Amino acid sequence: MTVLLKLTNVAVYVGDTCLLEPISLALNQGQPLTILGQTGSGKSLLAQAIMGLLPTDLSVSGDIEAFGKVMTIEERQALWGREMVMLPQEPWHSLDPLMKGIDQVKEVYQFVREKDPQEALAMAEEDLRHVGLAFNGHKRADELSGGMAQRLAIAAATAGGAHVILADEPTKGLDISRRDGIVQLLQARSNLGSLLTITHDVSVARQLGGLLLVMKEGRLVEQGEAAQVLDYPKDDYTRELIAAEPRAWQDMAPTMRKNDADDILIADNVRLERGGRTLFDGLSFSIKQGEVVGIVGDSGCGKSSLGDALLNLLPVSSGKLTRFNKTAQPHQWLKLYQDPPSAFSSSVTLGQLLDDVVDLHGIDKARISPLMDRLNLPEGILDRNCLAVSGGELQRFAILRALLLDPVFLFADEPTSRLDPITAKEVTGLLVELASEAGCAVLLVSHDMDLVRKTCHQVVSI
Amino acid sequence: MKAMLLKRALQLVTVVWGVGTLTFILMRSLPGDMAYRIAASRYGQDNVDSNAAALVREELKLDQGALTAYWHWLTDLLQFKLGDSLVSGLPVMDTVQHMLGHSLMLAFAGLMVSVLIAVPLGLLSAWRGNPFDSILMSLSSVIRAMPVFVLGVLFILLFALHWNWFPVAGFGSPAHLVLPAVTLALSLAAVSNRVVRDSAKRTFAAAFYQFSKVKGLSAWQTFRQHGVRNIAVPVVAFFGIQLVSMIEGIVMIESLFSWPGIGHGLAHAIFARDIPVIQGAALVMGVLFVLLNTLVDVICLWIDPRGAKTV
Repeated sequence: MTVLLKLTNVAVYVGDTCLLEPISLALNQGQPLTILGQTGSGKSLLAQAIMGLLPTDLSVSGDIEAFGKVMTIEERQALWGREMVMLPQEPWHSLDPLMKGIDQVKEVYQFVREKDPQEALAMAEEDLRHVGLAFNGHKRADELSGGMAQRLAIAAATAGGAHVILADEPTKGLDISRRDGIVQLLQARSNLGSLLTITHDVSVARQLGGLLLVMKEGRLVEQGEAAQVLDYPKDDYTRELIAAEPRAWQDMAPTMRKNDADDILIADNVRLERGGRTLFDGLSFSIKQGEVVGIVGDSGCGKSSLGDALLNLLPVSSGKLTRFNKTAQPHQWLKLYQDPPSAFSSSVTLGQLLDDVVDLHGIDKARISPLMDRLNLPEGILDRNCLAVSGGELQRFAILRALLLDPVFLFADEPTSRLDPITAKEVTGLLVELASEAGCAVLLVSHDMDLVRKTCHQVVSI
Repeated sequence: MKAMLLKRALQLVTVVWGVGTLTFILMRSLPGDMAYRIAASRYGQDNVDSNAAALVREELKLDQGALTAYWHWLTDLLQFKLGDSLVSGLPVMDTVQHMLGHSLMLAFAGLMVSVLIAVPLGLLSAWRGNPFDSILMSLSSVIRAMPVFVLGVLFILLFALHWNWFPVAGFGSPAHLVLPAVTLALSLAAVSNRVVRDSAKRTFAAAFYQFSKVKGLSAWQTFRQHGVRNIAVPVVAFFGIQLVSMIEGIVMIESLFSWPGIGHGLAHAIFARDIPVIQGAALVMGVLFVLLNTLVDVICLWIDPRGAKTV
């Protein structure tokens, strides 16, 4: 077996602080290697260190050997595209926003493989056909969906002939159906060389197979054959990661307090349009008090729009939405946003934001402290602003702010898709548990079928 | 694109009417007897008496009511009759054309030189970073903080009086264009090199810029393929704004270098109450304003077609 990449005691520092503790690994030809761990565990630094892409204020120690030779940063940079390539985490940001998709593949053939323009274009067309984008080459990145952008990025990255592929969270934010496709494409593209993947998604690691390294806070906790490690984890952290995968969750749907609870909302034969396009039609369901309802469907199918329509933020095109519980104020029909930092102002402290809500609605301040305990929110975060707390803390704070208003209906729009699996599990559990205790109905939108199945009383598919 | 052009055409009509009416109202509300001012400009300050003024008033029908005057003016405007200068008697169209031609020449020359200065310096500043960046930043601030006539006077003292390289002021040969254009260009480039630098820095740091190199393109290929166009988006828009605002701001340079342009001419027309010339100049400047803005918009849309559907 040829060793393509070999790392010996590679560590990353900023000044004297160690961000990534010394790690040694070898990437063999034909054997994919996956690094599994939470965001912020230093995984991305490792890939950047291998490529020679670390920001200049970070320093690397240890030896990085590529193709049997210890190489300096400059020597590794000379391999870019031709021998070794790194797939970007956010494909939308990694594609030139002003250039047609196909040209971003064509230029690689033209400049890296030195083909003449016509030949390069033909090869790029062929590549796009391979990744299922035959009719989308003329589009720019902003006209592509996340999955399409990632497929385009893969085609562009591998056009230069590189067989060693480093993929940093290649499936972040993608629907499950899209995720499997990306993983297969990566496998196909690297079958002549090898694939090093960094992910927090246990199912991606399982699907890729090969060798698996589990990392926690810049430290290697466990390694071995992927199937072996995932089926028989030795380390607690590995177990925790596996347990955080929605399909491994216990059934979390809270028991309904009474089965004969009143309906708070009935949707009858609803059709929704956005920008002249029908999203869905003939949708009927009802939601009871304190019920947790899951909405699943591919991205762009109108899940979020449905939630907004139920909150009366969007008009329905036809059909009827009936809201009961007339005594509820508009502010008791609430929404929990997908990306917590963009739902808060960063110019004042969280405490100030909370006080504003308390003052506006005359809420009893004594309720705050017990609820914060339940949500595992330390007092200290009230002195900080939304950028100085973690995503999980911020989403739990958002739940706190929503629950103080005694909502009757809470629309949670992918509330955990930007969080780590372990945090996501915790936040989802708290959300359904507390809302249900308060008799508040929850509409949980997610692209993860497993997550919805484990937490909801009723699932609506679009 | 079509919708945008249509909107601009409508804007043009509104601007013509608005600017015209506003000049009309403002000119009528200026203090002093208009007939005296016009007579003074025609015959000289010393030869004016009430007879001369009465003659002028009679000839130009200055004593008619405001509404009648407005009506006459509006019907003339609709037929594109801008009239003759009250002072020189020459057609307004010719006068304005003459002045505007000179102004545009100076404005374009200034802008071109400023582009030649700002783009390389801005790119170099983004690429090399400190200390070059800081030095350029200080220099830009100093030049920007100086009123443009101070810069002009400095240049006159240095290049025209001390070294005798270029004429002090006036018009006639390409050499006359150098000092006013360079003065203008330096004051423009003092700001625009920062815009180039910021845009370039943002682009160089962008994920797609890095990804292009990771794909295997060289630094130069990456710059050509992905740098130029992305950097150009805010830069071209900014140059456009500079060009448009220059049309009104050029008066200082024109006065300083006795350049026979529209700013200079407009100022003199106002002193002399030469209403047709003022109206004509204001109108043409308004039209030019809309046309240049449209041109800039079209270029920007061509560089960055995102959001074209919403324009």
